[in-house]
Amino acid sequence: MQWAILSGIEGNLAAYEAVLTDIKRQRQPVTDLYILGDLVGLQGDSEAVVRRVRSPQPGEPMPQVCTGWWEEQCFSLHGIRGLPDAPELVERYGLEAVKDLWEAVSRQTVQWLADLDFGFHELDCLLIHGSTVSYGDELTPETPPIQLCDRLIRADANTLFCGRSGLAFECWVEPGALRSTVTTLDQTAVPQEQGQEPKKSPRRIVGVGNVGRQGYQPSYVLYNPGTDQVSFKCVQYGPARGFGAARSKK
Amino acid sequence: MPHLIAISGPSGSGKTTWISQFLKDQSTPQFYVCPGLGEISVDLARIGYRFPWVQVVTEAQLKAVLADLPEQATVYFEWGFHLDLGSPFLAGLGCERVAVLPPDLTESDWHTWADQVVVGNAVAAPANGRLPEIWCTPLTGQVFDPPSLDALLIELTGGAYGQVCRMKGIFEMPNGHAFYVDFVEGLPGMEYTELNIPPWLEGRPRRFSGIEVVGWELEREAIAQTLLDSCLSDAALTQYHQHYQALDPTVDSLEEALLV
Amino acid sequence: MKLAVISCIHGNYEALNAVLSDIDAHKADQIYCLGDLVGYGPQPNAVVELVRSLDIPTCQGCWDEDIVEGLNACDCSYPSQLAEKRGHLAHEWTNQAIHPEVREYLASLPMTLRQDNLCFVHGSPNSQHEYLLPTMDGFAALERVLAAEADVLFCGHTHIPYLRELENGTLSVKVQQPGQSETQHQFTAPLKRIINAGSVGEPRHGRPNATYVLYDTDSTQVTLREVPYDYQKTCAAIIEQGLPPIFAWRLARGMEFAERAEDAGHVCER
Repeated sequence: MQWAILSGIEGNLAAYEAVLTDIKRQRQPVTDLYILGDLVGLQGDSEAVVRRVRSPQPGEPMPQVCTGWWEEQCFSLHGIRGLPDAPELVERYGLEAVKDLWEAVSRQTVQWLADLDFGFHELDCLLIHGSTVSYGDELTPETPPIQLCDRLIRADANTLFCGRSGLAFECWVEPGALRSTVTTLDQTAVPQEQGQEPKKSPRRIVGVGNVGRQGYQPSYVLYNPGTDQVSFKCVQYGPARGFGAARSKK
Repeated sequence: MPHLIAISGPSGSGKTTWISQFLKDQSTPQFYVCPGLGEISVDLARIGYRFPWVQVVTEAQLKAVLADLPEQATVYFEWGFHLDLGSPFLAGLGCERVAVLPPDLTESDWHTWADQVVVGNAVAAPANGRLPEIWCTPLTGQVFDPPSLDALLIELTGGAYGQVCRMKGIFEMPNGHAFYVDFVEGLPGMEYTELNIPPWLEGRPRRFSGIEVVGWELEREAIAQTLLDSCLSDAALTQYHQHYQALDPTVDSLEEALLV
Repeated sequence: MKLAVISCIHGNYEALNAVLSDIDAHKADQIYCLGDLVGYGPQPNAVVELVRSLDIPTCQGCWDEDIVEGLNACDCSYPSQLAEKRGHLAHEWTNQAIHPEVREYLASLPMTLRQDNLCFVHGSPNSQHEYLLPTMDGFAALERVLAAEADVLFCGHTHIPYLRELENGTLSVKVQQPGQSETQHQFTAPLKRIINAGSVGEPRHGRPNATYVLYDTDSTQVTLREVPYDYQKTCAAIIEQGLPPIFAWRLARGMEFAERAEDAGHVCER
């Protein structure tokens, strides 16, 4: 069993193709492909990406897709859910972006996107775009440790795979000591040492990188549920195909 | 000769419990009758679910069944507290008569009636001597939202809808299982027993469920409304069934096998 | 300085009156209110008028929000279908009963109040709907206090008062990034406290008495207060106003009108 997990294609079909090529090249075959949102975006050809995702070629795993930040902006624009008129989009990319996104993704495609899951619980993992708090929750290695710890508790998972930051990282969080004393009207409880016995084992947050963002090299992660190992993949691609093009870099 | 036994006693004294100990025996044909509550009652259904080999007899079938009893048959007549002990029907049967009575009850109509007195639960006799009323309704096809049912049962047995001395019911759950719930005023807590019947995960269950409430000044309309408010809609039920069908245990074990 | 913190009055005027007298008797310098002035109880207007007349700084509760915004709470924030149906009945009644200026006042309430190192919220710093139960994971609880950038977080919403002290919280973090060497760091949190003010008008601790808390900012002493009041008057008013009689029955037993949601970490998409 081997999972490939990626996020942030953002309409970049060439980058997605490069990643698919790299996935097919793995010595241990990839059995499951997860896409943690942001299929669409302002650049590139979002419609083509969605078509490609929906119709894998023979031998390619059927991608399991959840929604991301960009999909939520579409839902907002089309009045499907969330606040109307995509205020987050306007704040981050300006008013122009509203028209661009409206034109980049058809209503029909938005409707297909709206039926996607918010995330996946698989084995002891949660795969999601942001976190269970929100699709916009941007977790990075610089996020305060207590916040990372909280997201893991809420995820109810040992590994939280996420894609909002676009960064590739593996962050182990290990709760240490914590003394908690609760007083109620009827009693003062004995202080409880949390994180002692039973000891809380370290849990991790994995940033799965991003495939198609402008100015980045496509990256994704492989995860082997049997060994619990995560490996980062970075893919070379470009219009000038030559030696070394689309070769996986360690 | 078939053996006929009539069992009576106050509500909650333990009549059904006393009968149940004999129904475990599968060596001879056994029959169970619980007249007076209409075609089907909670007790009748529960005995049927719990002891599938026992023939539960509805009132409509009673005459025919009695006319054609096998030689070794035993027939248990559960004679509710609300039925007349002097009933000509009962007298005509020529039954053995057993009263299941609370330990502190020393003198009563049951004592004069019975051939044998069995000491049952210590239920309190109604202080004012007024016999309680019975309210019952079938709930067949209804499936309950479990936390709502919990709240409802706590309220009902806590006296929110009149003073309740006895409540028993069979309730269907969204996971397809059915529970028997039993409350006797004065005894600690409520007894929940999962019925050993196949889970029903396709549409509304087509098997009996229902509730029986015994008490004083029962607010029947409010109880009925609260019951209805606690039952799942078609849409909610379908959603639950899809969820539980997806939790097929064979799928889990397959995934685990792949992991190893 | 001695603070009195009250929460979850839910239109119960008798209970509020009794609590205010108790606060007077304890000579508190300042009162804070953590919201849910209305909902379920029979005197929403009188409660709001009294709180306003005393200039009590108040944050907005989930019921206050719902009355302003329209029934907004997601289905799953109710613990049961029955509680949801009753909640909707209470919402409809309250929505009809409250005066326009009361609605305006509720709309104007802030989510969060602050005083020095103290933060006041209705549910949690994240949401008016989140329950900070005393059994919540200690690290998750610590995160809420840190997110509020406070040393003491006052909350309500669960209707059972408690004080929770969180000490010596430590976490270690190990980060691996492609092309970079592994880094490791330790995080230690100083003493943080969560103080739940209970409920004035809709107690849930198994007795009908109103609850609130006193907090001394100098000594940091916390006192959980339980105040008896004539709840029968409120029960009579519930019946008189045509609210469901079961509300009165539950109020008299300290069972709350509808039970709380158990899932503390639950966050839903509206």
